[in-house]
Amino acid sequence: MADVLQAHLETMLGAGAVFRDGQREAIEAVVQDGSRTLIVQRTGWGKSLVYWIATRVRRDAGHGPTIIVSPLLALMRNQIQMAARLGLRAVTLNSANRDDWAAIEADLAADRVDVLFVSAQRFANEDFTSRLLPTIAGSIGMFVVDEAHCISDWGHEFVPDYRRIGRLLPALGPVVPVVGTTATANDRVVADVAAQLGRDVRVVRGPLARASLHLDAIPLADQAERLAWLAEHIPGMPGSGIVYCLTVADTERVAAWLRANEINAVAYNADVDAGVREGLEQDLLANRLKVLVATIALGMGFDKPDLGFVIHFQRPGSPIGYYQQVGRAGRGVADAYGVLLTGREDDEIAEYFIATAFPPTARMQEVLGALDGVATATIRDILEHVNLPRGQVEKALKLLEVDGAVGHERGHFFRTPMHWAPDEAWIAGVLEARRQELASMRQYVDTADCRMAFLARLLDDPAAHECGHCANDGGKVWPRDVDHDLVLAAIRFLRGDIRLILSRKQHADGKRLGFVNGEGHALSVYNDAGWCRRVHDGKYRTGRFDDEVLAAAVALITGRWQPSPAPTWVTAIPSTAHGSLVGDAAQRIAAQLGLPYVECVTAVPGLPTQRDMANSWQQEANARRKLGIAGDLVLPGPVLLVDDIVDSKWTLTVAGELLRAHGSGPVHPFAFAVASPRGA
Amino acid sequence: MMDAMDALAAMADDARAILLLCSSIAARRGDDARPLGPAGWAMVAQQLARVGLAPGSLLGLDEAALAQLLGDAVPSAEAVARQLSRTGQLAIELDRLAMRGISAVTLADDAYPWRLRDRLGPKAPPVLFTAGERSLLNAGGVAIVGSRDIDAVGESFAADVAASAAGSGRAVISGGARGVDQTAMRAALAAGGTVLGLLPEGIERRIREPETRQALTDGQALLASPYHPGAGFTAGAAMGRNKLIYALADVAVIVASAARTGGTWAGAEDALNAGWVPVFVRAAEDAPEGNRLLLRMGAHPLEAPDAPDAPHPSAAAPTRPAAALEAPFVQDSLGLDDGA
Repeated sequence: MADVLQAHLETMLGAGAVFRDGQREAIEAVVQDGSRTLIVQRTGWGKSLVYWIATRVRRDAGHGPTIIVSPLLALMRNQIQMAARLGLRAVTLNSANRDDWAAIEADLAADRVDVLFVSAQRFANEDFTSRLLPTIAGSIGMFVVDEAHCISDWGHEFVPDYRRIGRLLPALGPVVPVVGTTATANDRVVADVAAQLGRDVRVVRGPLARASLHLDAIPLADQAERLAWLAEHIPGMPGSGIVYCLTVADTERVAAWLRANEINAVAYNADVDAGVREGLEQDLLANRLKVLVATIALGMGFDKPDLGFVIHFQRPGSPIGYYQQVGRAGRGVADAYGVLLTGREDDEIAEYFIATAFPPTARMQEVLGALDGVATATIRDILEHVNLPRGQVEKALKLLEVDGAVGHERGHFFRTPMHWAPDEAWIAGVLEARRQELASMRQYVDTADCRMAFLARLLDDPAAHECGHCANDGGKVWPRDVDHDLVLAAIRFLRGDIRLILSRKQHADGKRLGFVNGEGHALSVYNDAGWCRRVHDGKYRTGRFDDEVLAAAVALITGRWQPSPAPTWVTAIPSTAHGSLVGDAAQRIAAQLGLPYVECVTAVPGLPTQRDMANSWQQEANARRKLGIAGDLVLPGPVLLVDDIVDSKWTLTVAGELLRAHGSGPVHPFAFAVASPRGA
Repeated sequence: MMDAMDALAAMADDARAILLLCSSIAARRGDDARPLGPAGWAMVAQQLARVGLAPGSLLGLDEAALAQLLGDAVPSAEAVARQLSRTGQLAIELDRLAMRGISAVTLADDAYPWRLRDRLGPKAPPVLFTAGERSLLNAGGVAIVGSRDIDAVGESFAADVAASAAGSGRAVISGGARGVDQTAMRAALAAGGTVLGLLPEGIERRIREPETRQALTDGQALLASPYHPGAGFTAGAAMGRNKLIYALADVAVIVASAARTGGTWAGAEDALNAGWVPVFVRAAEDAPEGNRLLLRMGAHPLEAPDAPDAPHPSAAAPTRPAAALEAPFVQDSLGLDDGA
C-alpha cells in the first residue's frame, strides 16, 4: 500500500513529494474497513490530503462516496483542484447553491460524485435526509467529521446539530470508516470525541504551536482606546488580516471606524447575506481588503495561508476558540501577529454569553406547551402564544429538535411522542466548563510566561515549549499607550454614531400597516459609549435629560437629519414610569426648534411595560392596549414624535398610526437612544 | 421508558443486517430489489443457523461471499450485497426516525415480542417499527376487533370490554382503524389503561395526531407496524397485520363481523384455525350474522361486556434469548392452542 499512497501523493503534489509527519499513518488507518480515526493536527498540516487520498483508495476498492461534514460555506477552489488531480469529483450542498441540487442529485444517482461536503445542519433538513441521500447509488464509503471537537459538549462551541452527528457515528455500522479531524482540542475534548467515535479509535496527534506566530495581549481602558489602537497599528501590520469582535454590532462599528481612518475594512457577521460573505472571503483571500472585521461567523474552514495578523477587539471566552481564531494567521508566512486587546466590558459580555447559552427550563417547557394539543405550528403561531423573544424560541426549538422532542418539516413544527426533561446536570457541567475556560483566558491575558507555550499547555499539547518570539519571550511588543488625538476622535466617532430607526411596515402577523412612520433617528445606542451614559443618567437618576444631551439632539435634528417634509409641530410618547421625562424633553426640543408642542398621545396606566413583552405579537398587542389619542388636539402638519429609549418600535409605530388616523401629517420619530441591537 | 434514541444507540449489527434486508428504509430510491418478507428472512436465518453465523456477520461480505454463503436462500446475491452496503444510509434514516420518536425492533432484539416469534414462526414479521411505551410489546392483553361500521350497541359493547380490560390492568390490543378499534382504544385510555395499536399503515403520520401523541408521551400507548414508517394504507397491509393483533394478545374479543367477507372475518377465521389465543365473540340477539357463524366455528360466546380471562394466564413469559439464529419455524409452540 505504501507505494500506492506515495504515487497518489506525487500525483497531487508532484514528483518527489514527501508525506508530513503522521500523514501516511493517518491514511493507512483511515482506509481500513470500519476504522475509527481522530486526527488532531494544526490547520495547514494537510488533513484534506489525508481524506482525498483515502477516498481515492476506497473508491478504487469499489466503495461508495465519502461524506464530509464540514462547516465550510463553499469549497475552496484550490481544494477542488487538488481532488481533481486524483480524478476525484467533490461537490457541496448548501443553501446558497440550491439551484445546483438537481444536477448534484443526478450525479449522486449515477455514482459520479466521490466526495460530498455538507454542513451538520443539513442533516436536520428533511429534503436532504429523505429525498437526496436515498439517491446515492451505492454505500456511503467513508464518513468524515471536520472540526470534530464540535461533537464534544466540552468544546468551546456548542452546535446543537453536532449532537446528532455524534449519535450517528456509532450507528454507522462495522464497515464504514469514520474520521474526525480537529486542529484544536484539549485532553478532555479529545477523550470525549474519541469515545464518541467508538471503540479502538486511533488518535493521530501532532504539535499545535505555530512557529511564525507572534503573540501579544494588551489591556486597554475602553472601546475608544481600542479603536484608537486599531487605527494606529493596523496600517503597520503585514499583509491583510482579521479583527475578531464578540458582537455583530461591534463588527459594524469597528469596520466603519477603520474605514473613517482610511483602512480598507468590511464587517463580516451572521447577518450578512451568505452570498456577500462568500464574496468577502474571496476579497480577503485575494488581499483586496486590509481587514475583515468579523464575528466567529468567519470561522472554521477559512484557510488563507498568508494571513498576516489576527487581532481580537475583545477577549474571547475560551483558549480553544482563541487558539483556533488566532491560528488562522501565519500558516504560510514567516511572520504573523496575534494581538489580543481586552477591556473592562469583556467580562460582562462573556458572562452574558454563558448566562444565555441555554434557555431556562421553564422557557423550554413553554415552547413545548405551545405545541401540545395541536398537530403542527409555525414559529408565528408559537410566538403568538408565548411571551418569549423569537431568538430564544428558535434556540429552544433547535435544542428540543436535537433531543427528539420536536420535529419540523417545511416550516411546521410538531411535538414528537418522546418524553422530554432537561438534563440539568449536563447543562450545569457545560456551563462550569465555560466558566473555567473564561478563567483560563483571564490568566492568558495576565501571564508573564511565553504566550504560545501558555496557550499550548492550556490545550494539553504535550509538545508545548517556549516559542522565543512572543511579546513575553523576546519577540515584538506592541505599544501599550494610545495616541491621545486618536482616542478623542474615537470618542467623537462613537458619539456621532447615530442610529436610524427604520419604520415598521407590517403588523406582527405580516399584514401591511395602515400608516407607516418616516425613517427616524436616535441619538445613541443604549449601553454603549458615546451619549448613552448621559441618557441613562437622565432617565434613571436625575429624571431630566441635561442641556448638553438636548443640544446634541437638536443638532442632530437640524443638522445631519433634517427630516423632510419638515415637522411643523412636536409631540411625545407619554411617560408612565418616569414622570414627565419625555414630555419635558420634547417641549424643550420644540422650543429650540420654534415649533408648537402638543400633548395628544395618551397612555392607559397600570399595563405592563413594553420591555416585558418579548416578541412582536406580544409587543404590538400591548402597545395597542396601552396607547390612545386625544384626537381633537392633533395638528394637521408633519410631526416630530419624541421618545426616550426605543426598542421594539411598536410604541412609536402605534402612536404614529394614531396620529395619522387623526389627521396629522407624516410622522418623524426621534429617540434619545435605541436599545442595543441584536448580539450586543 | 427506553426511548427511540436509546434504542438506536444500543442497536447491534444483527439488527442492522435484518433492517437492511427486510425493510426499505435505507434502500436507494427506485431500487427494485424488494425487501425480504417473513418467509424470505426465515430462509436466510435457517441458512445462517446451519453454518453457525449471526446475521451481523453478513455486513462487509462481498457479493461472491454472500452468494457462496446464502446460495438459493436469496433470489439475488447481488441485490443482497447492495442492500447490506447501505449501513451509512441506515444510520442516518434511523436517527431521523428516532428524532421523531420511532424505533425499530427486529427478530434479533430481546425486545421483539416473544408471542409473535413463537406463535407465528416463519410468518413473524422480521421488523416492527414502534413509537411509545415499548414494554407493551411483550405485555399481552385483550385483543378487541371488529368492523369499521358499527352500530351504537356494538360501539358501547366494545367500549365496555375495553374499560373492563383496563380495570383489570390488562392492555387493549387493537388495529387503530375507525369503528371498533378506535372506540376500544379511546375507552381503555379514558379508563386509565394501556393500549397497543397495530397499524395497517406506517406509523409516522399517526403519531402526529395530538390525541395519539399525548397517549404515547404519557407512556400509556404503543403504536407498532410491520410496514415502512411512511407507508400508506392498503387493504392487503390491513389483512397482513390482523394476525399480529391476535398473536400479541392473551385473549381476543370480536365485537362485530360480517359473514364470510371483510378483514374482520378473514382475521377471525385465521385466528380460530391457528389457535393462537382463545377467541370470544359477542353473542347477542342483534349481533351480526358473522358473529353467529364464528360461534358455530368454535369461538366462545361473550354475553356481558367484560374482558374474558385467558384460560392460560400468560404470566410465564419464556426466558429464551433473542432467537435470531434459530430458524423461526423450528421453534416449539408454547402450547396455547386450546382456543378452538
